[in-house]
This record gives sequence, structure tokens and C-alpha cells, in this order.
Amino acid sequence: MSQRDYSLFEADITGSAFNMRLLRRLMRWMRPYKYTFLASALLVLLMSSLQVLLPIIISLVVIDGLLRGNTSERPDFGMTDLTHWLSDSTGLTPLLAACALYAAAQICWAATGHWHRMTLISSVIKGLRDLRQDLFNHLETRPSSFYDRVAVGRVMTRVTNDVEALYELLRGIGTLIGEFVPFFVALSVMLSINVELTLILLLALPLMGSITLWFRKATSTLFRLVRQTLSSLNQDMQENLAGLTVVQLSGREEKNLARYDAINAENRGHELRSARLETLYGAFTDSIAHIAIGVVIWYGGGQVIQNAMSLGEVVLFTQFINMLFHPIVVLGEQTNILFRAMASGERIFQALDWDEKIHEPEHPVKLPERLQGNLAFRDLKFEYDRGVPILRGVTFDIHAGETLAIVGPTGSGKSTLIRLLSRFYDFDDGTIFLDGFDLNQIHTRDLRRRIGVVLQDFHIFSGTILDNIALGNPDITREKAQAAARTVNAHAFISALPKGYDTPLSERGQNLSQGQRQLLAFARVLAADPEILILDEATASIDTETELLIQDALRKLTAGRTSILIAHRLQTIQEADRVLVLKDGAIEEIGTHESLLAADGLYATLHRLQFQETQADPSP
Amino acid sequence: MLLRSLARVRPFIAPYKWRWLAGVVAFGIARYFEALVPFYLGRGLDQLVDGSHDLLFPVAMIFMAVVVRYLVVTLARYCVRSTGLYVASDLRRQLYDGLQRQGLAFYNRHSVGDMMTRAVADIALIQRLIGMGTILMVILVYATLVGFGFMLYLSPELTLLLIPPLPFVFWYAKRNSMQMGVASQAVQDRLSDLGTHVQENLSGIRTIQAMAQEESEMARFAVTNTAYGDAFYEQARVNSHMTAWMPTLAAVCTVTILGYGSHLVMNGEMTVGEFTAFFMYVNMIVQPFRVAGFMVNLFQRAGVASDRLHEVIDLDREIPDQPADGVPAHIEGAMSLRDLHYRYEETRAPVLQGLDLDIDAGETIAVMGKVGSGKTTLLRSIVRLVDPPKGSILIDGVAVQDYPLAQLRAQVAMVPQDPFLFGDTLRENLTYDDTSRPLDAIWLAAEAADLKRTIEGFAEGLDTVVGERGVTLSGGQKQRATLARGLIRQAPVLMLDDCFSSVDTETEEHILQSLKNLRRGQTTLVVSHRVSTARHADRIVVLEDGRISEVGTHDALLAAGGWYAELERIQREGADTSDYDGLGTAS
Repeated sequence: MSQRDYSLFEADITGSAFNMRLLRRLMRWMRPYKYTFLASALLVLLMSSLQVLLPIIISLVVIDGLLRGNTSERPDFGMTDLTHWLSDSTGLTPLLAACALYAAAQICWAATGHWHRMTLISSVIKGLRDLRQDLFNHLETRPSSFYDRVAVGRVMTRVTNDVEALYELLRGIGTLIGEFVPFFVALSVMLSINVELTLILLLALPLMGSITLWFRKATSTLFRLVRQTLSSLNQDMQENLAGLTVVQLSGREEKNLARYDAINAENRGHELRSARLETLYGAFTDSIAHIAIGVVIWYGGGQVIQNAMSLGEVVLFTQFINMLFHPIVVLGEQTNILFRAMASGERIFQALDWDEKIHEPEHPVKLPERLQGNLAFRDLKFEYDRGVPILRGVTFDIHAGETLAIVGPTGSGKSTLIRLLSRFYDFDDGTIFLDGFDLNQIHTRDLRRRIGVVLQDFHIFSGTILDNIALGNPDITREKAQAAARTVNAHAFISALPKGYDTPLSERGQNLSQGQRQLLAFARVLAADPEILILDEATASIDTETELLIQDALRKLTAGRTSILIAHRLQTIQEADRVLVLKDGAIEEIGTHESLLAADGLYATLHRLQFQETQADPSP
Repeated sequence: MLLRSLARVRPFIAPYKWRWLAGVVAFGIARYFEALVPFYLGRGLDQLVDGSHDLLFPVAMIFMAVVVRYLVVTLARYCVRSTGLYVASDLRRQLYDGLQRQGLAFYNRHSVGDMMTRAVADIALIQRLIGMGTILMVILVYATLVGFGFMLYLSPELTLLLIPPLPFVFWYAKRNSMQMGVASQAVQDRLSDLGTHVQENLSGIRTIQAMAQEESEMARFAVTNTAYGDAFYEQARVNSHMTAWMPTLAAVCTVTILGYGSHLVMNGEMTVGEFTAFFMYVNMIVQPFRVAGFMVNLFQRAGVASDRLHEVIDLDREIPDQPADGVPAHIEGAMSLRDLHYRYEETRAPVLQGLDLDIDAGETIAVMGKVGSGKTTLLRSIVRLVDPPKGSILIDGVAVQDYPLAQLRAQVAMVPQDPFLFGDTLRENLTYDDTSRPLDAIWLAAEAADLKRTIEGFAEGLDTVVGERGVTLSGGQKQRATLARGLIRQAPVLMLDDCFSSVDTETEEHILQSLKNLRRGQTTLVVSHRVSTARHADRIVVLEDGRISEVGTHDALLAAGGWYAELERIQREGADTSDYDGLGTAS
């Protein structure tokens, strides 16, 4: 097995550089929606032109043309001519025609803008939805060896937060397009009117840009501190509430309040400092825009006096100022999102590129309709980490219908044995045969349908009890599920619940006791009716009465079914036909309960120890 | 109703009211200076029209207005925002304090998750209400007042014509941003569904793969995933509508100015500069409308948040405390239960239904019984985690209610069933009640709880951080650590609530032996499911449905042939072998 660097998956990729390769790769998911994308691009050009037309109608058509009677050539996109044509053909006064034109342009602007945004967002949403699904599907099929090494939380955030960051990014890009396309259209109009004044105004851009950049930098550290202290506050409270009984029994309330106070004060300090910076910056950009109005009046006024500019053109410049400056502010707002998204993108692709998997046979054998359930382990060896053998050559047979209990200390290889049997790991040193078929020649999906595993940590999925028994298998009808539950003694407690089989279960199954969860796990595996049963017994203590129910259920479950039980209780062991004692990855003993006792080996020693305890003279 | 809820925040603002008021007033001043900019823009343009060409004055006025406005508005924003921050931090403290005073009855009604939501989301809402909601409202009011003031000054006629469309603009803005609130909430909900789905799925990945359910899980995820996309689309749609149609509705005013204003200019009743300024004033008035709905929404939600916070803050201590008046400073450990009853608030059947028992100082009592028979409640009543009627529990002849809580809980040490450790070092955890405990006391307790070898096994020893951010302990290790935390206090009365369930029998035997030495002559109560634990006790008390059904020594109860004897038989025949894991060491 090749050694992988799992820490790579765990490591935090923060602040990442702008990365074209990444964007190109991301675009692959957008490809199916490229025509919608294209439509969006056309619409944004249309919208931007209309956005520029509106102030032109006010300043060039109305102020210059109608109020000032100035008829010289203007870069007005033919609006003056259109107004006169409209006025001539409808009989409206030129002023009313201009108003009508303005209203029409405004409505067209709204419509094209709306459709531009909707086409853009819909293609983005679909693309990202596909990406997220692909990522989920990919993770869903990673093998156990992967999930043994990485924290579920880390994997989860790739599907949630990281994809979310891409949504933010693409929304941000949408906003930027909506700002910058009008910016360039307005800029070209301004340049065609007066190059010098335009350039003077443009001087403000680097100033605003650098101040925005500085502000972002200065606040990002503060924001981080704010977030950190805020999460410490929450963590402190959460933990304090979770352990409140201990807190109260230890009389720690005041001390803990003082500790919380200290973090609270620290957090407030950072918050106040960032509020100070934010308020300083907040009013800055619109102040620059107001200053620019003064500059336009001053410089443009001079040009008017020299007849180099018309009054309407000066007004037009003041109206364009927002279109000129606003994009920079938005850009500043979006840079953080951009960089965050880059890091997220890398994390997503890292997960998608993680190609660890269980090797499937090229030509899998087809298993017969019904298996007998003979298992043969032949010189099975396995190690998770190179040089640390867990199984050192294990050979034994289980006959069809037999129940075998496996006992042994932690680390003896019990769990590994059943993991290999259910093909959670690849192995090539040694063989397992199922009814004579080499396990490595069977497709895992096919195999796992034949093997029912009851794991130690029974996992409850949110949904009803019925959902949890059927687990998405359409073949398991309500009747089948109930029959299974009845067999394993779960029916009684399920029927006692307010909604019976339709009672919703919370993810952690808080509304069920340990014992009930165990019974439910039995019902789940019995409903699937596998030919081979594997049980990893839970160690948690269960009250004696439920214990008896479980024992009875187990008896029914293993009847006539090849079963392997990793046992922690003597009762369970006594259910088995034979007992296998594992120690340090090798078989120490195997045989019936009686024969092992008679052999007086390791098993017998332990067994004696157990009985000594309860048979000893109880009076101390 | 809403106003009353919001008014409840007032006492929290009171300490900062001058700061806050200064901000509100400053906003008005800032608005005035902002309105000067279009005014002098108009003046400047008019200078060009009438040929006097005096641009210096209007431009200087614009610059002056900008500078003053910048300073004043910055100050105003800081005043209001910082008020919000101070109030939030005060609220947070009050909530923390209030939550610490509540006990089991409260936390049976409210989950920790619910309380965390209050601490995080509700306080954030109040902070935004004060630091942002008021700004929005003040801006809306001032912008309307100042904008209309200037317009009326310039042309009353035209101004009056502009008023009719404005309510529609306001109505649309409010309606739309309410829709926006709904849509955003939907996105949040779907996002949280998505997170839950992924988390649940990945934590159960082994079960899914073992049951070969990957494909049906993918299909299930597609539904959740698409639902999120749809919600996101809907939010974008509402937002885009707002972006498109708000300015378009407001353009009714623009067109009015364009038409009627031009007419006035042509008649010489208005100057071109005033005409231009009008466009800017309309914009100034309409802009704040965009957030009107958001503001209304914020006020409503903050009202609810305020109620939810006060629900906790206004509560009295769940367990009333008592000053140390005339009670003995040292507890000897004799206990009497007198017709002890207790019923949890939300359950119909009482848990304890009349317990009578006398325990001598120094006695060791084992408490047994089925799940739900009242064992844990009994222990909780003694340290007043729950509070049964006064007089039903006496320690050294004094009702537990008469001891100060701190003394009672310091001298009657209870180790709860749930082995809870804080995400801190082992040392911090073991000396949780008194961090100044000497090292040898720590080791003594650790030794007795069979934790010493475990601690020595860690590279960091006592400074090992446990929990999520540190070493994950096994269930047994956690239980032994909580046991050590109880033992370290060497209290006159020690109560162990089923503390050996995850400890194997051999270790348990070892711990019980050292306990016997350590607690010689001191009262000890042990709740257990195991006969092997109970038989060490001086007397065994069996509870059934909140009553004492059997009392006596191990032998006496065996001879009596009751529930205890039956339990002994079952456990003997199918001996608990959870320490099969110990096989390796046994050989």
C-alpha cells in the first residue's frame, strides 16, 4: 500500500495567490451552461449602455439641447435626433418626448439588468451544484482507510464551506461585471468629451485604491482577532454549559464568570478598534466622490467659460462620478472573498484529486443467487503502516451456518479481520475465500450486499425508525421491516413510541437508549437479510433486562447464518459454536467453549478469572 | 408589543446614553452638510449660466461641507456603533451569569444549543439593532427631512409634485426587502440542511458503505443540493428585482423633475443649477428606502431577541442560596431521609415517592435499582442539584437547605454519571474546584482512581490537554479522571453515581480496594448496576419506582431472595466480561 500524506488533507490552506489554472478548472463545471453565460454577457453590455444613456438624456438632450438651446454635436448616441424624431412623429413637445425616452430607457435598463443577473446566476448555481454533487459523490466512495485518517469535520467543510466560498466568489464576480462594464462605457463617453478632466478624475482612483487596500489589510488582522475572541467566548460558554453540573458541584461559578469577562473585554477591545477603522473608512469613499463634484465644477466651469465644454457636459460629468468610483469600492469589498475562494478552490480540487480507493477486480465474478456462507482465511497478513504488522498470517475456516466468536485484547487484530472481510481495505498478502470465490475477485458492492455488519457505533440517520431500518433499500417494505423488528425484540419498544415506526429519530438518537439502539441495529441488518453476519459488539454497559433481550435477538439473528462476533461479553461467547482467540495478530487458540476450557490455555485462564469473581466468598 | 420588547433593552443602553445620543444628533448635522453639496453644485452651475463666473465660493463651500461632513459622520457612526458593542458585551456577561445560576430543571426545558443561539444570534441582533438599526432609521428620517427642506427652499411647487410617488417607492422597498428577509432565511435554512446532511452522511459513511448504500445516498444528496440551489436562485431573483425596479420606480420622480422642472426653467422660475440639484436630492431621499424593509425586519427580530434574552436574564437563581447562619462549619456525614419526594417538572409520575433512611456517619451505602428507579435523583437531591421540600433531607440533623450551597457542595462531593472533562489540562481538570491543590494531593487521588499509570503514559503528564483540542481519552479513562476529581476533595461525604460502567471489573476491584482505605470512617454512597461493586458496601439499598424496596447487607439480601438476589444470579451466570480486552496482560 502506498503511503499517503494525510496531513496534507488536514492542513489549513489559507491565503492563496490568484490562480488562473484554478479558475480554468472551475470553468469546466460551467461549460454545460455556456450559452446562458453568453446571453448574460450580451445583456450586460446592453444594460451598461442604457445605464449611460439615462444621464445623457438629462444633461445633453434636456439641459444642453432644450434648456440652453445648444445644438452643437455631442456624443449623445443620437439621443437628440431620436427625441426630435419622436416629437415629430407623435406630435409631443420635444420636452415630453425626452421624458418618454427617459422612461423607456429606464424600463429597458431594469429589464436587461434583471435578465443579465438572472442568466448569470442561474448558470453559476447549476455549475456549482454539479461541482458540489461531484465532490460529494467522490467523497462518498473514498475507502475506510481514508476516513480512518482524516477528521470527518475537515472533509465536511469542503462540501459545505468551501463550495459556499465559490458561490460567494461567483456572486462577487457578477457584481464586479455589473460595475465595471458601465464603468468602461462611461469612461469612453467622458474621454470623448474632455480628456483632461477625465484624467484628473481618474487620478483619484489609485488614491482610493491604495486607501481601500490599506484598510482591508489593517482590518483583516483585527477581524481575525475579533473572530478568534468571539469563538473563544462561544466555546467557553458552550463548555461551561455542557459541564455546568461539574461547575456547580465544584463551586466554580464566580471564577468562570471572571474568566469569561476577561475574554469578553478582549473581544470588545478588538471590536472597538475595528469599529474605529471602519467608521474612518466608511465615510471616506463618498467624501472623495463629493470632492470630485467640486473638481468638476471648478475645472469644467473653466472649460465652459472658454467654450471648450457645454454646461450639460459638466452636469454629465458629475452624474458619472459614482459610476467611476463605485467599482473600486466594490473591488475592495470583493478581494477578500476572491482570495478566500482561491484557497477554497484548492481545497476542493485537492479533495477531488484524492484518488485513494478500493481496487475493484477487472473481471468480477458473479456470485450465485444464494450463497452457502463458507469462509476460508488463508495466511492473511495485513499492516496499516509499513513495518507495523497487525495480522501476521491468519488461517482458519468457518463453515456455512456456523457462529464464530473472536476474542482478544485491543490491538490483537479483531477489527482488522472483519474490516478485510467486508473489504474496507485492500489486501494482497493472503486470501479470503467465500464459498470458494477469492474475495478480491468479487466487486465490493456485490460483496457488501451479502455481508451484514453491525458496527460498534451504531449510526442513526435522521429520519423515522422505518427509514433507519430500511436504509433506503426499496425492497424492504414496512411489513418486512416490522417483521425484522419483531424478530429481534425491537417491536415492543418501537410500538410504545408515540408515532411507532414513523417516530423521527434525531441524528445522535438521543431518544433511544443504548440497548434500544443495539436492537434497532439488529433489525436493520436482519431486514437486509445478508448471508453472512458480522457483529462488533458494543462495550457500553446495558441494564440486565435489556441485555437478556439482546441475547435472545442475537440467537435468532445467528440461527442458520454464518456469523462472526467480536465479543466482549461471556453471554455472547456462549452463543457461538466456536471461539477464536487472537493475540498480537495471530491465532492463539480456536475451538469450542468446552474444548478450550479443557485445553486449559489462555481462554481457560481468563474464564476462570471471570468466575472467580462472582463465585468467591462475597463477604469481604 | 414590539415596542415593549424593544424598551426592555433600554436599561442596557442607559450607561451609554450620552454617547448614543451624541451620535444620533451628529448624524443630523452630517446630513445637513451633505445636502450642501448639491446646493452649491447648483450655485456653481448658475454662476456659469448667468455669466458671473465666480466659481471659487461654491467650490470652497463644497470642499468645506465635505470635510465637516466626513468628520461629523465618522464621529456619529463611531458613537452609535460602540454603544452597540458595549451593550452586547454587557448582555453577554449577564447571560453567562444568569445561565450559571440555573440548574437541572431549567436545562430540562432548554437545550444548551438553544442557549448558545441566544448568546450568539440574539445578542448579535441586539448589537445590530443599536449599532446599525438606529443609524438606518436616523438616516432615513434625516435624509427625508433635510432633502425636503432644501427642495422646498429651492422650489415648493416642484417639491409637492414629488411627494405622491414616494409612498409607493417606500412601500415597494419595504415589501421587497421583507421578501428578501424571507429568501435569505430560506438560504440559511437550506445551507444548514446541507451541512447537517453532509455531516450525518460522512459520520455514517462506514454504515453506508457496509450496506452498499452509496448510490442511494448520492441521490438523496442531490435533492438537498438542488433545494439549496433553488433557494439561492430565489434570493438572487428577489435581490435582482430590487436592484432593477427600485430605481425605476424612483424614476417617476426623475421624470417629473425632467418634465415639470424643465418647464419651470424655461419660464424662468427656476435656474438650471437648482434643476440639477433636484435630481441629487431625490436620490438622497430615495437611497435610504432601499433598506427600509431590512430595518423593519431588524426591529422585529431584535424585539423577539430581546424577549428571549430577558427570559433568561430575569430568572432568579434556580436553587436559592443560604448564608452561613448557625450551621456547623464541618459536616460529619450522618444523613437522614424523611419521606423524601421529588417530581421533575415536566413528568407526570414522581421519581422519588417517600424515601426514609438513616445513614450513619462513616457508613458505605450501595444504591441499586433499575433504570428510572430514582438513584441519580436521590444523589442530586442531597447536593441540591434538584431541590426537594425542605426537611426531607438532613445532614447531621440540619436540613440541606440551611447550609450555604458552597459549603454543602464542597463537603458533599458528588461524582456525576456522565464523565465530563473540560478541554483543558488534566491538572486543571483534577483540581477544578481549587486550582491551588498541591501536587501530592493530585497524585494521591490519581493513584486511588487508578489514573496514575495513564497520566504517566502521556508525554506531557499532568499538563496533557484533553478533549477535542488535545488527547482523546477512552470512556474508562474519562471515568477514572472524573473519579479522581471527586476523590481529590477528600470530602466528608462522597457520592459516586455509576462511575465504573466503562471501567473493567479488574480495575474497578482495584479502585474499590483503595477507596476502602482512603475513605475509612467517612460516608460514601455508591450507585451501581453491578453486584460486584455493591457487595463491598456496609449496606445495600434497592430502589424500585422511587421507593426503597430492599435494605440490608449483601448476605442478608441474598438470603431474602428478592430483586437483588435475582440480579446476583443473572450476573453470576453470564458474568460481565468486558475486560476480555485484558487478556493480553492476563496471560
